[in-house]
Amino acid sequence: MMLWCSAALPLPCAVAAPAETAGFDVDWVLRKLARPAPMRTGFVEVRDSKLLQRPLRVTGEYRRPDADTLVREVRSPYRETTTIRAGEAVIARAGGTRTFTLDRVPELRQLQASFGALLAGDRPALERLYAIELDGTRARWALTLAPRDRQLAARVQRLTLFGRGAELRCIETLPADGGRLQRTLMAGAARAAAGIDDDAGLVSLCRGSG
Amino acid sequence: MLALAWVAALVWLGWMVARGLHPSGDLREFMPRGQTPMQRLVLDEMGDGPGSRLLLVSLAGLPPERLAALSKGLAGLLRCDPRYTQVVNGDFDLTGLVDRRLLPYRYLLSPTLDRQRLDAPYLHVQLTQRMQDLGSPAGELLEEWLPSDPTLELLAIAERWRPATMPPLYDGVWMSARDGALLLVQTRAPGFDPTAQQAAIAGIGDALRALADGGRATLTLSGPGYFSVVLSAQTRRQADWIGLVSTLGFIVLVLLAYRSAGALLLGALPVLSGALVGIVALLSWFPSVHGITLAFGFTLLGVAQEYPLRVLSHRRAGESALTGVRSLWPLLATAIASACIAYLAFYASGVGGLQQLAVFTITGLLVAGLSTRYLLPLLLPSQVRDVAGMAWLARARASVDRLPRPRWLPWLLALAAVAMLVAAPGAFWQNDLAALTPLPQAQLQRDLRLRTALGAPDVRYLLVLRAADAEGVLRLSERLEPEIARLRAAGALADAELPSRYLPSLHRQRLRQQRLPDRPALEAALRQAQRELPFKAGTFAAFVDDVQRARAAEPLDAAAFAASPLGERLAAMLRTREGATFGLVTLNGVRDPAALQALARAHGDRVQWLDLKASAEALVVDYRDRILRALAVAAMLLVLTIVVALRSLRRAWHVLAPMTLATFLVLAVERMAGIEISLFHLVALILAAGLGLHYALFFEHDSDDPAEQRRILHATLVCVASALLVFGMLALSDIPVLRAIGLTVSLGVLFHFCLSLLMAPHAHRAEAAR
Repeated sequence: MMLWCSAALPLPCAVAAPAETAGFDVDWVLRKLARPAPMRTGFVEVRDSKLLQRPLRVTGEYRRPDADTLVREVRSPYRETTTIRAGEAVIARAGGTRTFTLDRVPELRQLQASFGALLAGDRPALERLYAIELDGTRARWALTLAPRDRQLAARVQRLTLFGRGAELRCIETLPADGGRLQRTLMAGAARAAAGIDDDAGLVSLCRGSG
Repeated sequence: MLALAWVAALVWLGWMVARGLHPSGDLREFMPRGQTPMQRLVLDEMGDGPGSRLLLVSLAGLPPERLAALSKGLAGLLRCDPRYTQVVNGDFDLTGLVDRRLLPYRYLLSPTLDRQRLDAPYLHVQLTQRMQDLGSPAGELLEEWLPSDPTLELLAIAERWRPATMPPLYDGVWMSARDGALLLVQTRAPGFDPTAQQAAIAGIGDALRALADGGRATLTLSGPGYFSVVLSAQTRRQADWIGLVSTLGFIVLVLLAYRSAGALLLGALPVLSGALVGIVALLSWFPSVHGITLAFGFTLLGVAQEYPLRVLSHRRAGESALTGVRSLWPLLATAIASACIAYLAFYASGVGGLQQLAVFTITGLLVAGLSTRYLLPLLLPSQVRDVAGMAWLARARASVDRLPRPRWLPWLLALAAVAMLVAAPGAFWQNDLAALTPLPQAQLQRDLRLRTALGAPDVRYLLVLRAADAEGVLRLSERLEPEIARLRAAGALADAELPSRYLPSLHRQRLRQQRLPDRPALEAALRQAQRELPFKAGTFAAFVDDVQRARAAEPLDAAAFAASPLGERLAAMLRTREGATFGLVTLNGVRDPAALQALARAHGDRVQWLDLKASAEALVVDYRDRILRALAVAAMLLVLTIVVALRSLRRAWHVLAPMTLATFLVLAVERMAGIEISLFHLVALILAAGLGLHYALFFEHDSDDPAEQRRILHATLVCVASALLVFGMLALSDIPVLRAIGLTVSLGVLFHFCLSLLMAPHAHRAEAAR
């Protein structure tokens, strides 16, 4: 059973875990979230903007082919692959490929570093970058990360990770300058989002109340 | 009483001089004037060009967020300080352009319109891209720009204006992991002016310390101006230290030689008077005095120290000082007059620096000589010990007389000198003045590292564009753009900062204007492009307005562009002089100078490739040629004066032959040792020749009176010892310029002394008598 659980990619097998709070802390969540590369997970992102008639619903896959690479592949409604590796982001689109160095956008580099720390289960590294707060139970938890670094804090007020047991289901990003909250649904939540279009439905999927 | 008055006069003169003297470090004043406008531009750029006025600044030793705050604070303070013309620390934002009336000009400044019209297919591609941008994690950042700038023209301009290489940003400012926060500061003062650079550098430190925490950060500087300060301080420190030690040695020597403290004090007065009056003469003849003139001048004035020493050595027991000086004076006067007449040749050279040198040296020698003759004897005590009575001196004279003096020796030495000069390794002349004041390797490495990280321009190479006006320069610059791009792609250079990078020519801007659509056409194209895309209707109204403004706007010329954040940068690249406008193109990472040279040649005289180092060396060569010509004239004048003064060709030969042979022997030995001869060596050779003239004159004069012979030997020995003491110490310096002077004079003094002793005529008379 344990073997099956850890070998599988995000699956709601942890639902079976006891809901008591004993031994339930940040370390427990990080231990559960830790995933050695390679890994992949589907995602659904809903991006809203005052310039758009309706929010943009972007689906695709996040991949970590190795410990130093993060790939965001958009499959719908257009195709776009962003590869972040060795301090460089390469964006491949139908119109061509653009490359820019993360040196010019240090916030992105920090975000990449925090994903690395998260997926490696490296709590000290994560604590250096964020103030961490944990809510909920093993069956339904929310991990809130508030950036300590002034530069990152100027862009991002907080990140909230929602999960069930070992499954990271959703990330909410709240921009600092009064921007709109952006939501990325992953794993089981992303699969469950197929066909759900209304905002309330997606929120409850993300936060695990659905 | 007289002594007090003399000292008081010197103090007063010294005070005058200290008030009026501001030696200039401007190398150009020491150089021949340029003949063509281009040559004059080169001379200006050598010290005044954008590269030479640039200081590379790094702040380290604190956490990055503190350093970033300090970098912003420091840049803010320095930008308000008139000593700096430009301060860049990486917070390169376009707000200056964004907020103002210049914003619509983006369609005239960006090259997009050259390739592309704002039609429906192009707009559709662009809007699709923008939708995808909004769907990306970076969408937030772009949202506010899109309504007025859906083609991201501002970004295209930013890309174009941003240097090819820049350090990483932290909190909006340049920050390198190794060197901390980095800034580029351009001083108003030229790079070669150590005094002004010192003030500019001190200003940076003061501004930093005025900031909270500023005192705790480590400030490091690099760049030509900083180096000139470091080098002049280093050279001065060592020269001062050596000067102190050799002064002490000199005091001991004089005390030993004359056993009198009064002799010591009085002996210093003539040279001091000569130097001070010489400076006063300079100040009243020339608008500014060059630092090198003073350095060379003081070196040459070293000859005058011999005058009082000769007087002191030639005192006879029971004879008044005045009588002694009178008997010595004809010979001394010959020496002084011939040196002064020789230096007249320098005045005739027509080069500012050499004329100053002549005025200073001639005035100094005359004042030192005349004060030795007319003032010094009045102060010397009436009773002295005659040095002729010293037993060791008699023995020394006897052993000198016993020295073998083969007639073939001078000819053998001359032959050896010629052979050595022919066989010597390496180049004969050292044309690179900078080689004489080399920088520590660690500083050079750091300079290279910072320069590469900052993409700072090369200080050596420059392309100069020439046209009738600024518009002509910009058009020429546009024609060069593709050629430079090809060379960059081929790896010949890392980057070139062309004026048209910041401002296109009026012609080019008008072409772009003609390609902009009118309102109905643009609105129709937008409608068509937006079909199938989820943008709200009317989202891009601000874009349509801006394009219409750009269509109607008067194209930007250099003057109007001055209001933009990069206006100053462009202004610094354009120079108007003598009816032409020059555009300075700074280069960096030049790997293939020949390719750039070929590019310039292909454009005739409109594009000129400047190698400032080669130009500086060419100027040194030109300068040296003038010195050599002046020297040739000086040598002829010297021969003439000596012949007239001694009224005998044969006697003149006995004076001039050892002097000439010794001079060439010094050259030959130094060349054989692999030393390349610089201007400083030449000046040192001239000083040594001046000293050698004294030795030869006095030994030639050798009377039949053994006591007088001994006095001459004593005087010459004291003079040789003191010269060796002072210049021998300099020869030990590890700064090449001091070593060059010290070694040359020391060798010269030795050779001149030995040869004038061995080739003196009395020995032959003695031999013949025997």
